[in-house]
Amino acid sequence: MPVIEAEGLSKRFGKKVLAVDDVTFAIEAGTITGVLGPNGAGKTTTLRMILDLVRPTSGRVTILGSRYRDLRAPAGRVGALLDSSGFHPGRSGRNALRVIAAGARVPDERVDEALELVELTGSAKRAVKGYSTGMKQRLALAAALLGDPEVLILDEPANGLDPEGMLWLRTFLRGQASEGRTVLVSSHVLAEVEQTVDDILIMSKGRLLAQGPIDRLTAGAQPVIRVRSPQAEKLEAALSASGAAVNRLNDALAVRGPTAAEVGDVAHTEGLVLHELLTEQPSLEDLFLQIAGTRRDA
Amino acid sequence: MIALARAELLKLRSTRTALGLFIVILVVTLGPLIALIALLPEDWLAADGVTGFLGTASALVPLVLLVFGILGMTNEYRHGTITYSYLVTPRRWQVMVMKLVIYALVGMVTMLLAVALVYVVIVIGGAIRGIDIDATGGSTAGDYARQIVVAGLVTTFGVALGALFRAQVITVAATLIWALFVENIIAIIKPAVGTWLPFIVFNQVSAGQMPGDGADPALTSEMLARPQAFLVSIAYIAIVSVAAVFISLRRDVT
Repeated sequence: MPVIEAEGLSKRFGKKVLAVDDVTFAIEAGTITGVLGPNGAGKTTTLRMILDLVRPTSGRVTILGSRYRDLRAPAGRVGALLDSSGFHPGRSGRNALRVIAAGARVPDERVDEALELVELTGSAKRAVKGYSTGMKQRLALAAALLGDPEVLILDEPANGLDPEGMLWLRTFLRGQASEGRTVLVSSHVLAEVEQTVDDILIMSKGRLLAQGPIDRLTAGAQPVIRVRSPQAEKLEAALSASGAAVNRLNDALAVRGPTAAEVGDVAHTEGLVLHELLTEQPSLEDLFLQIAGTRRDA
Repeated sequence: MIALARAELLKLRSTRTALGLFIVILVVTLGPLIALIALLPEDWLAADGVTGFLGTASALVPLVLLVFGILGMTNEYRHGTITYSYLVTPRRWQVMVMKLVIYALVGMVTMLLAVALVYVVIVIGGAIRGIDIDATGGSTAGDYARQIVVAGLVTTFGVALGALFRAQVITVAATLIWALFVENIIAIIKPAVGTWLPFIVFNQVSAGQMPGDGADPALTSEMLARPQAFLVSIAYIAIVSVAAVFISLRRDVT
């Protein structure tokens, strides 16, 4: 049985903004699933609907078999990081967690453990207003972990983290999944989660464009041909004329559609010099662009 | 609900808002009181009217508590802590009801302390000046009890207003303008209407002179009887609190 299940989920704010449009998905236990898409794709609204903070306009979503509001002691089953600014600036980091722990019937010892997990013990007594963005993000992560939950829902957890922090987060999330937890993590930086997630949901403009294991989706995507030429402009024109989709990347071209041999043939026919020609498996970003582009064209 | 109460009390203890409240109350009640006791001539201090005035030094406390109640709720929205409150307790009515109850209790305890402090300061001040001042200012135990209950009601009213309107500065400013000016202007222009307005009704519950007390009928002719004023106060609190809970249930936390 899926841990999180959404069916026909939609959310309209006012009359004009359709933030989430008829989204259906299922998240399996013990996986790390990335909700990917640009800003405004509807990721945060979707996560907030799962947690009953935003009421769907239509459709339904369940977590661990029921609506979030119907879970008994939800903090012990679901941990959420939604916004690193959800702390009173005058409260110390430790007290901010103690307030949450008190409501969730979690003992203060667990507060100290959670602070230790996110490496904030040394700053626990400082007021939150003195924390950097990365520290607030870690504090929010500690809040999510307070009840030692079986499901983690993290909205843009890497926001404000430096490269060292991002590496720490990746290791941390892998550790959580290896302990059997289900992790749903959203991000607008595709490369950031590419190395972390098992499954992905790709959203754009409120719609769910694709979902499934990352390997399967990228394997099914068209490969990208990277080609470098001192006559890149002429090559670009020739490839475009032959029906290929071409993106300019500095002095190189990223070509979708033809094979590497076909790109070489076009260059030969036009009498153009090539300095590099190789086939790349598409990255998550390439996959997103392909899917979003296809949907836009359709 | 006990866990919720603990969390709410910890929220109060772990920021400087509550400490600030007590400092403001000390300043607005004890500051003028100490100055008056120290500076007024002995024969003035011994006069009945002055002792009565000294005994009402805590009259401004409900206004401070009203603002405290508004801040208690609007701070949750301002700093985004309402998200965690609802994540931990997704049945939002429980969060709202517990906040209303805890703030009512804090309001009453604060008023009790304020009244006790005023009493102690007058007794000690009188002893230092060598004057026998009536520290109660003629108030009875019933008068004190009503002041304490009204303090709780007003604090709860502030919490409910904060939940309804969320925007901190606007809610505080609009409420103070309404309580201090608008109601009084209406009461002057249309006394029969003014007497039913919320903050005037709260005052009527705790006021020293009421119809039937042998007070000057000219002063009290438009006032509600005390039980009536109390029931109207409860009705105001109930209406605003139910509206606050209802809106909180339906509101998206984005």
